[in-house]
This record gives sequence, structure tokens and C-alpha cells, in this order.
Amino acid sequence: MYSAFVEYAVSQGVPLGTVTLILMLPIVVLIIAFFRQVVGIKAFGIYTPALIIFAFLAIKAEAGSFWGGIRYGTAIFGTVIAVGTLARIFLRRFRLLYLPRVAIVISIVSLSTLLMLILGGMFQRTGLASVSIFPILIMITLVEKFVTVQIEKGGKAAVYLSLETLFISIVGYSIASWALLIFYLQQYPWLVFVAIVINIFLGKWTGLRLSEVIRFKKLIKNV
Amino acid sequence: MFKAYQKSKTILGMNSRNLTFIRPNNLKRAKRLADNKLKSKRLLKKNGIPVPGLIAKIKTRQDLDNFDFSKLPSSFVLKPNMGLGGDGILVVYGRKKNCQNIWVKADRSLVTEDDLRNQIRNILEGSFSRTSIPDIAFFEERVKLSRVFKPYSYKGIPDVRVIVYNNVPVMAMLRLSTKGSEGKANLQLGGIGCGIDMATGTTTSAVQGKSKLIECIPGTRLSLSGIRIPRWQEILELAVKAQQVSGLGFLGADVAYDRDDGPVFLELNARPGLSIQIANMEGLLTRLKRVEGLKVKSAKHGVKLAKNLFGGEIEEELEDISGKKVIGVVEKIKLIGKNGAEKEVEAKIDTGAYSTSVDIELARELGFEGVIDYFDKIKKPKEITKKDGKNIMEDLRAKYLHKNKDLLDIDVVYSSSGITVRPKVKISFVMDNETVITRANLTERADLKYPVIIGRRDLKKFLVEV
Repeated sequence: MYSAFVEYAVSQGVPLGTVTLILMLPIVVLIIAFFRQVVGIKAFGIYTPALIIFAFLAIKAEAGSFWGGIRYGTAIFGTVIAVGTLARIFLRRFRLLYLPRVAIVISIVSLSTLLMLILGGMFQRTGLASVSIFPILIMITLVEKFVTVQIEKGGKAAVYLSLETLFISIVGYSIASWALLIFYLQQYPWLVFVAIVINIFLGKWTGLRLSEVIRFKKLIKNV
Repeated sequence: MFKAYQKSKTILGMNSRNLTFIRPNNLKRAKRLADNKLKSKRLLKKNGIPVPGLIAKIKTRQDLDNFDFSKLPSSFVLKPNMGLGGDGILVVYGRKKNCQNIWVKADRSLVTEDDLRNQIRNILEGSFSRTSIPDIAFFEERVKLSRVFKPYSYKGIPDVRVIVYNNVPVMAMLRLSTKGSEGKANLQLGGIGCGIDMATGTTTSAVQGKSKLIECIPGTRLSLSGIRIPRWQEILELAVKAQQVSGLGFLGADVAYDRDDGPVFLELNARPGLSIQIANMEGLLTRLKRVEGLKVKSAKHGVKLAKNLFGGEIEEELEDISGKKVIGVVEKIKLIGKNGAEKEVEAKIDTGAYSTSVDIELARELGFEGVIDYFDKIKKPKEITKKDGKNIMEDLRAKYLHKNKDLLDIDVVYSSSGITVRPKVKISFVMDNETVITRANLTERADLKYPVIIGRRDLKKFLVEV
């Protein structure tokens, strides 16, 4: 059924889902690298969007449907960012040092997330209420990244980068949920090496990014 | 579409900046120096580059507790040593009247001693440093606004960003702060960037923020083009010197202009932004490639090159005054031989040679086969020493000149490949729309890269940029 390698891994007791997810990781990070180098979407580095894509995938596994993953994932993501912003504005007047301030923001965000889950249950959104701790924790760690960017580059940049992260996460999640891709990865696990080769090309790519073509539009016309 | 793609190749993008220019040219040690403001200040000062004076530095919490804020002058700048992109910088313009330790910021808001302490504590914690490691805070003198820039600047001090590569200042822009940019001249914060003509130091086009083209200061009718930056030559020289001292092969140098002290060097930048291209309405990549590999002898030489290569206006000005044309080391020329025979070739411009020489085969194609065959038959001494060269030349001239009407002269040429006897013919060439009639010597150049070299005797109408 699957490639010999995958069959062997499964026969040794590694769950098929885990094997597939691990094989998917190189594809997911390739997508993120592509978005950065060729399209020019920054997001919060490579680590945060990759984790969030996996959080989305985990939510999908529990909610049972592709759209469930997007809906609940986006809901939790949005809550975290919105509450993070409000908490920071609220805390600004107290003039606290960095780490304690982030600690308070994370606390407020976790409590709000819990509240949201309870509310979801009250409105019969059982899919939301039953989301496991793993994706929720990942989303909450997003706050630290968010607050750091807020302090370093300002609130506007932070919101912008969050939206970019959300966008990349949804695109990555959609590709990683693609049945055909999953099928091929299980059949031909060596495809991950192709991803590495593509990454080498991306790493040597010195052309303009799509975002730069737009940014320099007038200049290109004028040269 | 394809044309647009070709044009886009003149522009420097993030990928190319990082991979082609920053990675190989800005080594780790140099980058660390640029990120450390106090260290680079010290180094620049030691090498005779003027920098704003240091008032005090605060390294630890204890330093902060012992610091006497009343000793601060009425205007100063508070900076984090390892700050990023203008973050964490606090500028005050004066003390509030009748108050000991309250200062006024650009937007007229007040800064108290407690505000300063809190800011310094955050700096020490590393809130503004690149990697959140503990940092040092320091106070430095504020650059005083010059009368030249007063009408253009909203509260902040304008500065000139110069991109320096291979000891040549490649592109520059004047950065002005606006109401929106909180007295900082950073483009990301809404500041204005004006492109600068490299030769004259006069502003050309302008951009606000990341990509909005403007002509006047917003809300006024003050034109942003035609601002003449004082002591331009010195500013460019400072930028090149800073590159030599810092070892940053690809440098963004920030130089401000102080009302009393003139040009002062503000900051070294190892990762200069790309908006400078929009401000100048020109791509950086072509300019960077232009200066790659050039041998630049001194800061003055680098600045001269920049003015010749990238100064649009001065080039024409110069041609108007002296009637000279600026040409490169290799130029396309059109040779005109006998009976109107024409040939287009690449010629090497060699100011080290006195006269022009042309390859024999090429001369044949231009209609000189008669004189070449005649010259081949002449009996010439095989071995010539420097001593008897002159006698041989006189002898040959007396015997054979005027016997062939194309043979204008016979010359003994001392070159790196030995001493040779060469015939001279009358030939003309067109270079940069300028026709030159010359006496060229003919020689074997088949193995050489260029079939023609043009010597300095024929370069009187030109100015060669190396």
C-alpha cells in the first residue's frame, strides 16, 4: 500500500499520522521559505508559522473537517492577537519591565482563551471546546513573538505581521491537508529531498521579490 | 512585459542585497562594530572623523542610581548602544522653563527624570537591542539644526544617507523628518527621502514613507528638489573614510550637518535600506556593478569617480565648460580608412601610451594593404637596442619615406613586448560622436583583446574616467 519505508515505520509502531506529519514538515517550511524569498511575505520568521500550521492540522484532526480547522484555528489566533494588543495597551501605563510585562500579557491571553472555549461550548460549538491543549499552547506562545514585534517595530507592524502569519498558515495548512500530496508523500517519502533541493535554489535566488516589484513599480517604469 | 523585466534588473532587492552584497562584504566583525554605537563612535573619532560628543554612559543599574540628572545639558539625545533602526532613541530639545529636571521633546510633550530613568532601565534590560541582551545607555550631544535645512525639517535633524561600495559613494539621499515621523528621519516612520545628484549635492526627486512620490513638503509649497547640501565634497569623503576605517564593504553612512561644526558622522549601517532607489528614481544594482573591481586609491579618488560616474548634471556642465566628453576605459569606435572603408570595433583607451596603434589585419581590411606589403619588403635590422633606435629610425625615414604615398612616417616603438619598427598611416575614427584624425602606427595585435588602443595624443577632446 505505502512505500516500503513508511510500511516499515508503521510496522515498528510509529503511528501513520505521525509519519505523515513529520514528512510534511519539510514541505511546510519550504512553503514558508518560498513566501519569504519569492513573494516577500515576512510573517514571524519560519518557526512560528510552521508551528501554527501544525496547530491548525491538529485542530482539524479533532474538529473532523478541513473548514473546522480554519474556523477554529482562526478564532483562537484572532483571540490571541486581539487580547494581546488590548493587554499591551492596558499595561502601557504601568511602565513595567519587559519580561514581567510579557508574563502578564501571556496570563491574560490564556485566561481569555479559556473563556472563549467555555463560550464556544455554551453556544454548542463543541468542536471549539474540545480542542486539545497542544494547539492552544502553540497559539499562546505566539503572544511573545507578537509583543516583541510590537515593542520593536510598533503596533501597526505587529498587526501586519500577524495577518501575514495567518495568511501563510492558512495557505500552508491547505496544502498540507491536500489529499493528493499526503498520498504522494506516503508513496514516495523521498519527495522531501526534492524540497531540500528547491530550498537550495531559493537560497541562491537574488531576483526581486513580488512585493518589491509592487513597491518599486514607479521606479521600474521610470528607469 | 519583457522590457519591464529587463528594467527591474537594475534594481537592488532584499535577496540580492543580502546574498550578493552584505554577505561577502560585511564580515561579522565589521557588522558587530556597526551595531555597537559606542565602539564605532570611538573608532571613527580616533581616525579623525567628527562625531557628536559623548556626554555620559550608563552601564549598570548602579550607574543609573548614582547618575545626577541635573548635570545633563538642556538638549541631548539618549540612545541604546545596540539599538535597531532608530528604536529606543529619545531626543529632547530643551528644559522646561523654571523646572530643573523636566525636558521638552520635539512634539512639545514633556519628559521627566522618571521617564528618563524608565527608558534607561528598559535599555539596560535589552528591550531595544537586536537580540534582547542587556545593553548600555548613553547620552550624546544633539546636532544643531543648520539654517539651510531649517525650513524643510520638522523638529528633527536631517541627515544624508550615503551608500558606499568599493570606496566609491554610489548613491545618496537627504532624509528629513516630518510631523508624522516624531522628529526622526527614518523613512519607515513617515520621513521624507530626497534623491541627490552625486556630482553637485543638489536634491532631485523625493519620496515619503516607503514608496509615495512627492514634490513639496506636505501641506506647504516648499519644493524638495534643488536643495543644495553644504560641503558636499567633505560629506562624501567622510563616508568613504568611514568605510575604510570600519571595514564594511557595503556601507550605509549617515552624516548630519551641524550649524557650527559642519559635517558630523552619525552612524554606520551594515544593512542599508532600499528606499534610497525610489528617492533617486534609479536602481542601485547597475551602479554597484559599475564600481565593482575598480582600483580606488584614496577617498578623494573615490569621490571623484562617483561624481563622474553618477553625477548627471555635472557631466554635462563639465562638457559645456571645457568641451570635453567623459569616456570609459573601453569604448566603441568607428574606424574610417581609405576610400571610406568603415569598421566598428572596441578600443582600449590607454593614457599610458602616447600614440594610437591599430592591428595590421584590421588595417588591411581598411584599405591599407598596399602600404603594409610595401613596408614588409623593407629591409629592417632584426635586433634593435635602445641606443641605436634613434639612428635606425632616421635612417629608415630618409630611405623610404615619400616612396609610398600612404606611408606617413616610420616609428621605432618601445613597448612592453620589445622594440619594434612600425609604419604610420593616416586614419580617422569616430568616438562618442567626435571625429578624430590621427597618425596611427600599425602592429600585430591579433593575440590581444582589443585590436585598437587609443593613446593620449588623440584624447585631447576627452576626459577618461578610470
